[in-house]
Amino acid sequence: MTVKELKTEEFMVNMGPQHPSTHGVCKLVIKMDGEEIKEITPHVGFLHRSIEKIGENRTYAQFVPYTDRIDYVASMNANHAYVIAAEKLGGVEVPERAEYLRVIMAELNRIASHLVWLATFAIDLGAVTPFLYAFREREMILDLFEMTCGQRLTYNYMCIGGVNWDIPKEFEPKLREFLKIFPSRVDDYEDLLTNNPIFLYRTKNIGILSKETAFEYSVSGPSLRGSGVKWDIRKAESYSIYDRFDFDIPVGYNGDAWDRYRVRMREMRESAKIVQQAIDGLPGGDIQTKVPRTWKPPEGEVFTRIEAPRGEMAYHIVSDGSTKPYRMKIRTASFCNLQVLPIIGINHLIADLVAIFGSLDIILPEVDR
Amino acid sequence: MFELGGIFEAIGKWLNGFLPPVWVTIISAVITGLAVLGFLSLLALFLVWWERKISAHMQQRYGPMRTGWHGVLQTIADGVKLLQKEDLMPKDADRIVYFWAPIICFGAAFMAYLVVPFGKGIIVQDLNIGILYIIAITTFTVVSLLMAGWASNNKWALLGGMRSAAQIISYEVPLSLAIVGAVMLAQTLSMNGIVSAQAGGFWHWYVFREPLGFLVYYIAATAEANRTPFDIPEAEQELVAGFNIEYSGMKFAMFFLAEFVNMFTVSAIAVTLFFGGWQPLFSFLGFIPSWVWFMGKSLVSVFVLMWFRWTYPRIRVDQLMNFAWKFLLPLAFLNIILVGFGIVVFK
Amino acid sequence: MGLAVFYILAAVILVSALFVVTLRNIFHSALMLIVCFFGVAGLYASLNADFLAAVQVLIYVGAVTILIIFAVMVTHQLSGKKIRQYNDQPVPAGLIIISLFLLFVVSLSKTGFEVVKSISSSPTVEGIGKALMTSYVLPFEVVSIVLLVALIGAIVIARKD
Repeated sequence: MTVKELKTEEFMVNMGPQHPSTHGVCKLVIKMDGEEIKEITPHVGFLHRSIEKIGENRTYAQFVPYTDRIDYVASMNANHAYVIAAEKLGGVEVPERAEYLRVIMAELNRIASHLVWLATFAIDLGAVTPFLYAFREREMILDLFEMTCGQRLTYNYMCIGGVNWDIPKEFEPKLREFLKIFPSRVDDYEDLLTNNPIFLYRTKNIGILSKETAFEYSVSGPSLRGSGVKWDIRKAESYSIYDRFDFDIPVGYNGDAWDRYRVRMREMRESAKIVQQAIDGLPGGDIQTKVPRTWKPPEGEVFTRIEAPRGEMAYHIVSDGSTKPYRMKIRTASFCNLQVLPIIGINHLIADLVAIFGSLDIILPEVDR
Repeated sequence: MFELGGIFEAIGKWLNGFLPPVWVTIISAVITGLAVLGFLSLLALFLVWWERKISAHMQQRYGPMRTGWHGVLQTIADGVKLLQKEDLMPKDADRIVYFWAPIICFGAAFMAYLVVPFGKGIIVQDLNIGILYIIAITTFTVVSLLMAGWASNNKWALLGGMRSAAQIISYEVPLSLAIVGAVMLAQTLSMNGIVSAQAGGFWHWYVFREPLGFLVYYIAATAEANRTPFDIPEAEQELVAGFNIEYSGMKFAMFFLAEFVNMFTVSAIAVTLFFGGWQPLFSFLGFIPSWVWFMGKSLVSVFVLMWFRWTYPRIRVDQLMNFAWKFLLPLAFLNIILVGFGIVVFK
Repeated sequence: MGLAVFYILAAVILVSALFVVTLRNIFHSALMLIVCFFGVAGLYASLNADFLAAVQVLIYVGAVTILIIFAVMVTHQLSGKKIRQYNDQPVPAGLIIISLFLLFVVSLSKTGFEVVKSISSSPTVEGIGKALMTSYVLPFEVVSIVLLVALIGAIVIARKD
């Protein structure tokens, strides 16, 4: 008998829509040879809520709460992306204090979002304890959000022309306390995971995303930077007041799951640095430029993008001069990042697929909108 | 004074006074069987609660707090809940095999306690082939997992069953070879014999004679008990729940309890083979009953296994195999050679 | 007592062996094989051959049958292919079986079996170990080499280039 006669059968497995490691309702149809993955077909659309169409039927101000629901793990950043687009469309000036508050909130939310990612990524690899540790710190951030805007998940904090509420006076001491302990807590997570040999085995050289593939599929955010591309909208096309702060853009080398992990871990530290600078330099004054309830931006179109925790979030809004947008298109990072999963996931084991999926940090409502 | 061994002997003598020997054999078998079953059920309930408490405290939580003192009655409440659950069976399941899998799983876990020496004179049957018997009987656990994986008619369950078979077969080899070291030192396969050979203070324990053997045994035993970092057969995040994905109600409870009983079994074997079994730490501490020593040492070992679980990520299935065959197995052989030399040199 | 145990075990072995070859579901056949092997282990145990009994369970149940089940699972359930229990050559198979049966009958009837009055209840492990390492050391080593060769052969066949 020769080797060629020994053939193995391939079989199909449905991973999801109800599976603990797809982080939401995503269905992956996997063709497997034993435990080795030969083909992955992601099926999306289970969470489609036609948010873009809703945007055409709501006034500009009414749409802000809907942006919360696009990425509920980082609602502040989703708010930010939309209000920046609307302000550019209408030429609205934002008070200095509001810009600072926006940056503080957006960066805190980036940390919170990365903490959720860290928690679920660790749990995907079978380490349950970091989950609870990460949620402990996220809780502190959520407390800060709650005392500012009364919400813990969907904040509806920013509005066109500024922010809706000013921070209460107990906010600043709490924030400074958080910034003081946070770096040591990140050290704790790194103690648990970063140099753990089992963790290294599970993530090193797993799901290598090359620069070329990343460009072809328009991957963005930490997943792109993990492949060694130094591209961050906050630096490259600085929006809001990010050009006033001093921070680094961490990049990886190989583009494997471990590099993506490292990039996010370091980004949390960088974000904490930005928040520190912003709270130190927080000016007084107004928090809002009054924009009328039936606000009519001039005719025209606008395209803006920001760096959300998962990558670029862009808005393309076309205005016909009425109170509602004529057309709205939202570009979300998770949708583009999910597309590389069938490329980088094949020829791995099913356990690796879980690790790769976790390392890409995909939020399903953001995929489907 | 508080030794339990005497009680069993006294009962035996008392029964012998007025009953024919055949009846005494049958009655004592039933009594010991029920005693072991009762003990194991209570133990499993306790271990479930203990694991929840340990994990909670490692994760800055409280764990169960409401049912009884610090939630001690929580597992009993859960057990009652599971008893009331509807016993579901998938439509295309293999009915007979599906039914028998959890029973065999629990039975195999239970049978291992035939030869575990709980204390001085507290052993159901001190078989000559004691340790070999345990290794043989635990293979039925694999059979039951394969049966569960097959009968559920679910691809995830099947993958879980296959993973467990591959894993346990692989780890049984270094496990058995690690045991050989202790057997060589004690010159017997009997569990009681191995314990007696380690008498006279903790420096006589085999963990200090062959630390390598203990290391190999403990790692392989963690894999045998399907604990993290080797819990790939039921890897929740990959295979959803592995072989027991379709099980509910009491059948699930049996798998669940068997897992905890198995964890105690490997700990008990580790204690017997490497930590002097029920022997006290120093001989002047002999006034503490032997079963207290045994339980104390075993529970420490169980605690370490739990500690592993709540600290480490899970290893991947192929890495697991490589680890067993390319690392543990040579180490186990090295241990046997070293022990052999040791015996010859220090004879 | 001993005789009753023997008859029960013999019945278990025969019935399960019959099931192994007649059941339509090959997975059930494999499970019946386990019962059969377990019965044989029971026979050993009833003869006070405790070491043999444990090894019978360990090797045949723990390794051989599990490998069979493993192979059945991979080929049968996963790919959805049915493996047939029968082939299309009943005539030659029947001839072979009948001649084998005759061979057994003849050889068994011609052998004079030594009858032991009582079974010694002393441990057998030490005796087996000594015998393997002294008088039977050559066959023992030859068997290990044969097994090693078989192992390497299997690896060579299945190796992916």
